[in-house]
Amino acid sequence: MKQTATIISIHAADTSGVCSMLYELGGMVVVHDASGCNSTYSTHDEPRWYRQDSMIYISALTETDAILGNDEKLIGDVVSAAKDLSPHFIALCGAPVPLLAGTDFPAIAAEIESRTGIPTFGLHTSGMRSYLAGASEALEAVVSRFCTDALPRTDAPSANIIGATPLDFSVNGTVESMIDWLNRKAGFELVSCMAMGSTLDDIRRASAAHVNLVVSSCGIATAELLRERFGTPWVAGVPVGEKFSAVLASALKTSAETGECALPCADRDASASGKKLAIPGEMVFSGSLARAVELDLGTPCRVLCPLEAEDRLLAPGDIRIFDEVAAAEAFAASSGVIADPMYAPVCPPDVPFFRLPHEAFSGRCYRKESLNLIDRPLPWRF
Amino acid sequence: MLKLAFYGKGGIGKSTTVSNLASAFAANGLKVMQIGCDPKADSTASLHGGARMRSILDLVRERNNDFTLGEMVREGDGGVICVEAGGPTPGLGCAGRGIITALEKLQEKGAYDVYKPDVVLYDVLGDVVCGGFSMPMRKGYADRVFILTSGETMSVYAAANIAMAVKNFRGRGYASLGGFVLNRRNAPDEDAKAAKLAADFGSAVVGALDWSETVQRAEQLGKTVVHAFPESPMAAQYRALADAVLAAARKGDAPC
Repeated sequence: MKQTATIISIHAADTSGVCSMLYELGGMVVVHDASGCNSTYSTHDEPRWYRQDSMIYISALTETDAILGNDEKLIGDVVSAAKDLSPHFIALCGAPVPLLAGTDFPAIAAEIESRTGIPTFGLHTSGMRSYLAGASEALEAVVSRFCTDALPRTDAPSANIIGATPLDFSVNGTVESMIDWLNRKAGFELVSCMAMGSTLDDIRRASAAHVNLVVSSCGIATAELLRERFGTPWVAGVPVGEKFSAVLASALKTSAETGECALPCADRDASASGKKLAIPGEMVFSGSLARAVELDLGTPCRVLCPLEAEDRLLAPGDIRIFDEVAAAEAFAASSGVIADPMYAPVCPPDVPFFRLPHEAFSGRCYRKESLNLIDRPLPWRF
Repeated sequence: MLKLAFYGKGGIGKSTTVSNLASAFAANGLKVMQIGCDPKADSTASLHGGARMRSILDLVRERNNDFTLGEMVREGDGGVICVEAGGPTPGLGCAGRGIITALEKLQEKGAYDVYKPDVVLYDVLGDVVCGGFSMPMRKGYADRVFILTSGETMSVYAAANIAMAVKNFRGRGYASLGGFVLNRRNAPDEDAKAAKLAADFGSAVVGALDWSETVQRAEQLGKTVVHAFPESPMAAQYRALADAVLAAARKGDAPC
């Protein structure tokens, strides 16, 4: 059956992406959906839920409110809560019911902003796209609104990390390792990490950076915005493994000097033939891992892309997979698979399977097994 | 680019009036796009010989998103770019959501950037019955709303409802009220009723049209009056209305 997931999981939806991206920025996120759905968007997909405060709320949309178009209840509740909480901003997200009812979130946001004076965004989430779309739109909205001043570049080389969320990197030290690598190995001071471990004030200073490191495809739109607004170049890749980390550090330096953008995550061994190792997942991370495996372990790889991604993120040989049938066929034609454990049931028994949990795919199920692969030897031998 | 939405009670003559306005604008050298926002998909029929054209939702139904902008439009008399949103299978689905999808597709495919019309006319079904039918007046779509009415009670009632919706949406940055158009049905005190309605909303009747057999004769030919009978008194009324609508639309925000 095409375009179905009867055996494996599906990726977190756009609303989860918004909640994850905005979690630490001091804004109020309101999902216009039925009461109880917050656990779907935040608890299951959000390792910070029980240890770090946030302002993520559900509007408790009722059938009657939806049928009668009772937007005033949403507006009134948000305005009232905002007066108590004084958030830095308010983000409104849709869900499937508002999608069908045609709720105009940008217009409602304008109304709330006019009543509260608090910057308010209406985001186009619907539950029909992946977390990448929501995280991308949310971050772009925040940066577009708050990162407006062209600050002087810092004296020392500096960079922003763009696109970090627990959905792609969990909370296992990976992001801290990336920042450490950026400082010590790549030679760049961190201006802001969007959006883990940094504040909204850090993000306001993003224009002071010499270059941006995009670590997930959900960061590309924001990186492009910063390039258009301030001329800051960007490089897409995650410093996994040993040799690829060095490649990425070099690409960052070159980019900062030349102003040219680069996608080292989309480089592959073009001379390789025969079966390759398959890595399904988000393209910037999976592409970086594929290249790291090729460079460190000498095993040719291809990435299977199950999510929204621009063509430029796919290397020759990479393929898009739209359902579990395509995933199973691709696995069967591979020398091995590195993937979230929830892909294992569609991997043939004679194809070696290496577990690498991806929170956006399996939520908290395998969180304890999550790996930090930043700037260190890879744990597999093929 | 001036974007104007026309609302009014079902059967009041919106499509006929909007198509004649499109012809009048085009005759004045303006590039016009007319977008029918009605599941019946017959707004633009008199601009292309009375024949039906394939709607956007027909294309979506058949090919999902695999179609081009060129397939969504048809050039009508006077070079008017005709578009029909279309709708779901009668009795099923959601017509309002269909209008949203159709207008989003039009924008996604770059219709306004590619054709660069001077005037866009949205001809919207009957009343603002749900969120979908307010789509043409949302930010990024129409700048001004014009409401057609006769002096008949039900028509005035519907027009008042629409004007109230426009007023309620003011805080959202939606289109503002451009004015009312009186389409006479020879009801008692018709002009006075329309004038009072407009005054109640701090607006004005920007133009009036007489009832005329010429309109039916043109319709039978599958043409607009302006195109089929350009020398007729009725064509002159449409041209005058076109001038009045443009003037009202180009004014600052009408009080509402």
